[in-house]
Formats: sequence, C-alpha cells, structure tokens
Amino acid sequence: MASTIKVDTIQDQDGNNIINENADVITVGASGDTITIPAGATFDSSAATNTLPATVVTTTGTQTLTNKSIATTQLTGTITPSDSTVSLAKLTATGTQDATTFLRGDNTFAEPVAGGITMADQWRLTSDFTGTASPISSNLERVDTSGQGTIGSAMTVSSGVFTFPATGIYKVEFISQFVLNGDCRYYINYIQSTRNNGGTWTQISENRSFIQQTSSNWTPQLVYTCSLFDCADTSNHKVRFDILPVNTSTVTEGNTAHNETFFTFIRLGDT
Amino acid sequence: MNEQRYLNLALAQMHNGQWFGFKKDYTGTERMSYENIIVHDSSITKPTEAEVNAKIQEIKDAEADAITKKASGKQKLLDLGLSEEEIKALIGI
Repeated sequence: MASTIKVDTIQDQDGNNIINENADVITVGASGDTITIPAGATFDSSAATNTLPATVVTTTGTQTLTNKSIATTQLTGTITPSDSTVSLAKLTATGTQDATTFLRGDNTFAEPVAGGITMADQWRLTSDFTGTASPISSNLERVDTSGQGTIGSAMTVSSGVFTFPATGIYKVEFISQFVLNGDCRYYINYIQSTRNNGGTWTQISENRSFIQQTSSNWTPQLVYTCSLFDCADTSNHKVRFDILPVNTSTVTEGNTAHNETFFTFIRLGDT
Repeated sequence: MNEQRYLNLALAQMHNGQWFGFKKDYTGTERMSYENIIVHDSSITKPTEAEVNAKIQEIKDAEADAITKKASGKQKLLDLGLSEEEIKALIGI
C-alpha cells in the first residue's frame, strides 16, 4: 500500500537541507554540496525548460552540445574562429570556386579580368611604289621574318582596308619610309577610319615630313603617324592608310624581309 | 644599297603606283628577285629582265655620276682658290 509523507523539508541528521520546497520552488541540496547521478541512471529533462548557469560554457576547455544548436541571437559575444578553420564552403558567395577564380567584394567568385596585352599585330609593305596611294592596297603582309612575333588574333586586310579581330580600344601606328633622288617639300601619312564599313572615310591622324636631297643622291626619310582607335563594331569600324607625296616621283619603300613601311595594331583594352 | 633594293627601286621607277609585288610563295633563294615579280595592274606588262637590269644600271650610273660631279665640282672650287673649309661650308663636303 502506497504511503505519502507530507513535509516541506527533508534534512540529514546534522540539520542540513537535502530537499526543500517553498512556494513551488524545490531546492535539492545546499550550496557547497555535490549532487551525483549514478552511472546507469537517466536524468531526463527533455520535456522541461532548463535554465543553465551562466558558467556552463567556460572560456577554457571544450564543451560539446550534441544534437543541439545555438541560435545566432544567443551568441552575443565576440566569436573568433581558430586560425585556418574557416573553409570556402562556409561562405554564401555565388559563382564557381576553383583555382581560376577569386572572391570579389560583392561576394561572387569570378574569373579575373585578363591582364597584359591580349592582341598585338604588325603588317608591312613588301615592295616599293612611286607616287601616291589612297589607300595602300596591295603588297601587304603580316610580319613573318624569323624573330618577329605577334600576340592574339590577327588583323585582316582587303584592298587596304584593315578589319579588327575584336572590339576594343587600339593603338594604331603607321610608319612609312620613303626615298627620292631630289627634293620633296612634303610627304603626308594619313590614318583614315570608317564607322560605316567604308561608306565614308575620316582622317584621324596626319603627319608630314620632307626630303631635302643630300649629296645629290637618293635621300631617305620617314614619317610616324599614330592614333588610338575605338572599334566598337568590327563589321563597320575599320582603318586604312594613305600616303601623299607632293613630289610624285617619291618612292615609298617596302621589303619582304624586314619592316620599312609598316603598320602596328595593339589592343589596349575594352571599348 | 644591295641588289634587292636596286631591283625594288628600279621597278618602282618604271611606273607609278602599286603595280608590282613579289610572290609570297617564291622560288629561288631571294623573294625579291626578277623571277618572283608579280604584276597587279592588268594594263602593265611585266618588263623583261633586260629592261629591269637596264633600269638598275641607270640608277647606279646616276648615283656614280652624282658622286663624280660632286668631286669635280669641288675640285673646280679648289682651283678657283677656295679653301677646304669654305667649300665644306658651301656644299657640305
């Protein structure tokens, strides 16, 4: 037959509280006591509300919370992960994470913008001609002598009109070498551009030089012309090169084996 | 000037404009040689090798003649009593 003992306090023989109940608060033991739950016993408070002491997580040692989580709102202190413990997988960043990408400030993994020059090309005139050329339309070749080199895709040329392999801002250089057995008051290099695939041409660079004959013989001279060019449409934005010597006996020089009159194209960046 | 330069210059002197060039797929040891000349202008007939050589010789003769005339002219100035320094100030040699 079950029996019931009704008391508010159970004490040991020295008068120390073992269990005390007061106003629905039950206190087990007293300050300084050790309360031991024997091995094999189960302390099940899963259906209860547990209030942990402030010192349950200490600044030393390791605490393991199995099958539990801590809401981020409860983590109010400074959280300092150990060195070399935060993996890329912990990041919310989008994009492909691999050896070819880097993490941008907008939390995206992306390919770096290519550095350096991606396109440099050079063409030359391969034979002499006398008089004017508007444009220089034949005997043009990409430099190909041993030791000469280019970068990236080539320019293409048709009837002296040069087409760019990709859009971009280009540095276009035109150097002509000319010779005359006499005087030539001026000799002009033109770089001309079109925005409508040759419908109209505009001079974007013009430079002059002259020959004053030396030692009563053939006398050489050169003209350097350069312009930056915005190719935003490879089908329509093109360049060509003209020369105009006032003395039409002037010979513009070209060579199959080395550069005399030549054209350089270097892509500097995006349009 | 080497022989390729003389050939190039001689051809350029025969007609105005870009009337000739040299084959990309050339034969022989030099691309810039008579056998590799191509004519772009259909109104122009490829000159004979003799004609080209005559033009080259004409250029060489003109060069030599200029040098000779300059030397003889200088001598005449010396004969007139000008000093080397005075002649150099006048004609640069």
